[in-house]
Amino acid sequence: MKLSTELQAQVSLTLDRFRLEVDVATHAHVTGVFGPSGCGKTTLLECIAGLRSSAAGRVVLGSEVWQDSADSVFTPTERRGIGYVPQAGLLFPHRTVKQNLEAGFRRARREGGDPAAIYRRVIELLELRDLLKRRPATLSGGERQRVALGRALCSAPRLMLLDEPLAALDQPLRRKILPFLRSVREQFAVPMLLVSHDPVEVQALCDDVFVLRDGKVVARGTPQDVLTDPSVFAMADEQGFENILAVTVLDRHPAGTTVALGSGATRLRFELTEPVGTIDDHCFVGIPARAILIAAEKPTGLSARNIFPATIESIQAISETSLIVKARFDDASAPLAIEVGHAAVDALALRAGLRVHLIVKATSCTLYDAAAA
Amino acid sequence: MSENTISAIVLTLRVAGVATLCSFIPAILLGYYFSRRTTATSKILSTIATLPMVLPPTAVGYLLLRALAVDGPLGPRVLGFNIDLLLTWKAAVLAASIMAAPLVIRTAKVAFDGVDPDLESMTRTLGYTRVETFLRTSVPLASRGLLAAAILGFTRAVGEFGATITVAGNIPMKTQTLAGAIFSAQQVGRTDEAYVLIALSLALGFVAIYTTEVLADKASGHKAPQV
Repeated sequence: MKLSTELQAQVSLTLDRFRLEVDVATHAHVTGVFGPSGCGKTTLLECIAGLRSSAAGRVVLGSEVWQDSADSVFTPTERRGIGYVPQAGLLFPHRTVKQNLEAGFRRARREGGDPAAIYRRVIELLELRDLLKRRPATLSGGERQRVALGRALCSAPRLMLLDEPLAALDQPLRRKILPFLRSVREQFAVPMLLVSHDPVEVQALCDDVFVLRDGKVVARGTPQDVLTDPSVFAMADEQGFENILAVTVLDRHPAGTTVALGSGATRLRFELTEPVGTIDDHCFVGIPARAILIAAEKPTGLSARNIFPATIESIQAISETSLIVKARFDDASAPLAIEVGHAAVDALALRAGLRVHLIVKATSCTLYDAAAA
Repeated sequence: MSENTISAIVLTLRVAGVATLCSFIPAILLGYYFSRRTTATSKILSTIATLPMVLPPTAVGYLLLRALAVDGPLGPRVLGFNIDLLLTWKAAVLAASIMAAPLVIRTAKVAFDGVDPDLESMTRTLGYTRVETFLRTSVPLASRGLLAAAILGFTRAVGEFGATITVAGNIPMKTQTLAGAIFSAQQVGRTDEAYVLIALSLALGFVAIYTTEVLADKASGHKAPQV
């Protein structure tokens, strides 16, 4: 998804171990900044927020020039219209949840927004109603992050900066909060920059990702392009790539769960063997690239239940032994990455544009669902 | 209680109160500056601001006396008018302010050290200027420590003697504070009066320090183990 507002960040700043040197422009709704810890991700966000006055460069959001060192332009942080969601939440400990959410109202009003209306939406969306009177110290980690997210949204920001908003939480809790972030994405057309080192998060939320290493952008592309490249993402080699697809729970029965991929008449019914999830819930299903088989013709007499027609979009070698085939189901919006050996490509004469059938083993899939956590 | 004693008590509270009020705002601003800046300049300034704490109070008093003298930098010849401080209760306020300031500054610095600078950055991203952020986030979060700083400054001002007597003298009913009155009572052997004054000082000091102890506990969220 593309927005009309473009974010340009050209930043250079000398840090202890390396020099941060980034020059990116993006129209994406959610842009990911992916990379190991200590690669300069947080510093980059701070530069964009105007919290690093010693950084040189040019930061532009739409028609607003926030910084242009060549022209000595520097808009202070408070006038940039930023919604910052840090790792640790950083809620104001001396204020209640309600007061925290209201902290940015004044700015929202100054910008011509209607904070009260946003506030009502945010409380609904992030399920904050029961927390309003509480103090941050009494909240759990997940609740704190939801409040931090809500506080940023209530200030009617022009740009959201999310600095590993889920990193302080344990794995099950992260999967629980992820759908909240996804709904924020769906309901607010604010451009967002998301710093993360979690491939599930990046795929579930980002349209465009750039990879930062020692202060430099080393790769850029869609989450799938970036995360299937072993030279960019070491885990792609060890554990293999896991496709993350947004799904809706259709049915739950003792033998498993049925989820829908896509919507409307062309939606695909996908069977999972774990009986988890709540009907109508939006969640994510993880399908390892190594757990998908390609068949040139529709196979019959197979025990696998998830067999869908698809079209190959591209084939790319990622190592001496394996390739990544990208194929798209007839209706699904995101392509699926499938890891295959060279022999398979030759035997089936796989090429871009070829119609194939994809076979997904239900037992290999994981449902990332709020209720499962 | 003699008229002199009552006058000393009233004057002491007035001098210490006014001195605390006068020095508090500059002192917390300096404390904030010293907490947030760790440059060589800030260290030198911090050292200078702390000097009154280690110098003999009479030395500070003497320097003030020279500064306020006719040809001193704060004297009528330089300023062009006479601020007419010497040997008045206002001189006692000046001396007490300077002597109390280091304690207020240092306590305020510690209070601000406990405020996460990231919370201040967060406040700014929400649309507040630096000054608004200071008033909205830094001061409320440091409030217990700042209150303790004010109390300590007040008690330091109550006990001030050396610098005060040098610039304000020890004139009964005019510039004589508790400390001066105790000194005079001892000099002339009015033991009963000295004991009354000492008991008053003890009570005042106890209440003040006990309050800061309670505040410090609350600020750190520390709970003593229950036996």
